[in-house]
Amino acid sequence: MTDRQIQILIDSFWPMLEAGIRFTLPLAIFSFLLGLILAVLTALARLSSFSLLRQIARFYVWIIRGTPLLVQLAIIFYGLPMISGSLEFDPFTAALIGFSLSVGAYGSEIVRAAIESIAKGQWEAAYAIGMTRSEALRRIILPQAARVSVPPLANSFISLVKDTSLAGAVTYVELYRTSEQIVATTYEYLLVYSEAAVIYLIFTTILSALQNRLEKRLRRSSAN
Amino acid sequence: MMLEIRNLHKAFGSLEVLKGIDVDLEKGKVLVIIGPSGSGKTTLLRCINLLEMPDQGTMKLSDRALNFQPGRKIPSREVTELRKRTGMVFQSYNLFPHKTVIENIMEGPVVVQKKNKEQARKTAQGLLDKVGLGDRGDYYPHQLSGGQQQRVGIARAMAMEPDVLLFDEPTSALDPELVGEVLGVIKQLALEGRTMVIVTHEMKFAADVADHVILMDGGHIIEQGPPDQVINHPQSARAQQFMSRISGENI
Repeated sequence: MTDRQIQILIDSFWPMLEAGIRFTLPLAIFSFLLGLILAVLTALARLSSFSLLRQIARFYVWIIRGTPLLVQLAIIFYGLPMISGSLEFDPFTAALIGFSLSVGAYGSEIVRAAIESIAKGQWEAAYAIGMTRSEALRRIILPQAARVSVPPLANSFISLVKDTSLAGAVTYVELYRTSEQIVATTYEYLLVYSEAAVIYLIFTTILSALQNRLEKRLRRSSAN
Repeated sequence: MMLEIRNLHKAFGSLEVLKGIDVDLEKGKVLVIIGPSGSGKTTLLRCINLLEMPDQGTMKLSDRALNFQPGRKIPSREVTELRKRTGMVFQSYNLFPHKTVIENIMEGPVVVQKKNKEQARKTAQGLLDKVGLGDRGDYYPHQLSGGQQQRVGIARAMAMEPDVLLFDEPTSALDPELVGEVLGVIKQLALEGRTMVIVTHEMKFAADVADHVILMDGGHIIEQGPPDQVINHPQSARAQQFMSRISGENI
């Protein structure tokens, strides 16, 4: 490695790390939170006794899961303004919408499976003490389903952190986009992209460790 | 009458499980339902608090009256109102695993009856004392033995001050040495004059605790009367057959 390459590595580390902390992580965190709300609502809609709600939820999941995230982002950022000026979003908002919709669709399957994994006897015990369906759901079923869905949802979050690199395509300058800009002036493709990969790896390693701790804590406090 | 059931029918798909059941139960009496597996006894019990929705027939329970007809849905408010007047003890306990023992018991009074939390806790503690688990309130269900869990299940059902207590084979999931403690609690409730409907395989217990016994087979009531008559001196051939098979198993 030449002195010039070492210098490039050192010079580009902080800008990329900063982009990761200031732009990649916030995008991931906010999309995940919004997506979670959407996921729970969609899961409830899929389990609802109203057929129209079920249809809408299924349609939404079908569209989002069946089309590439990159294409969805392009439609939201470049396509929607052609319908109306009020649908013109800044890069962050466009990415936030795209990623939230994605988390909502994939997450709804996780939440739905978790709800369905709770034993029928829990519903019956709730009904037997006079609870309505929504009381049973809120007080008995969802708290138990939440525990079941923590490991797969944590996985989704880690995936999401990596997927935010797609936001570069809608001009949101996050970690990957920053590395591209550095490459454009230095032409050190291998070096700088590898460095970007290492920074993603640092993020996901920390998150995996947090996930392990969370799961251990849940195991300790839950049955058996 | 506390409970009055007339011509109750229930089918699962093409399988007819209840073929016209009549039941009368006075306040303060204990009804025990026995019969071979698949006879419809558990379905009948679950129809009383509408965990299974009957297809046809009428039911009066306390101050509620319901009329079941094919294709006519009972409004969910009616269903909840009826359930508030019953308490149910399940074969597999079905305690809420994410709540402590005392929270399990308080859940109904606080969430459904909107009772004050402190008062509900006091009542729950009293019920725990009564089932002999006064010092277990802060445990989680999985930290208790099956017999203890089932006694919590009984306390949870009682916390709603139901007009009728329903027991669905309350000792079937228990190790033999734990059966006695649960039956003891139920016996105590019977002595206090609670109105109860009990589905069980424990014939000795049935004879001991019942005011009235119903023997079911194939979706029909094939014999009923005082326990001594039904259990020891059944009239019909089918009832005699069942009783001799059961007593054979007990030895």
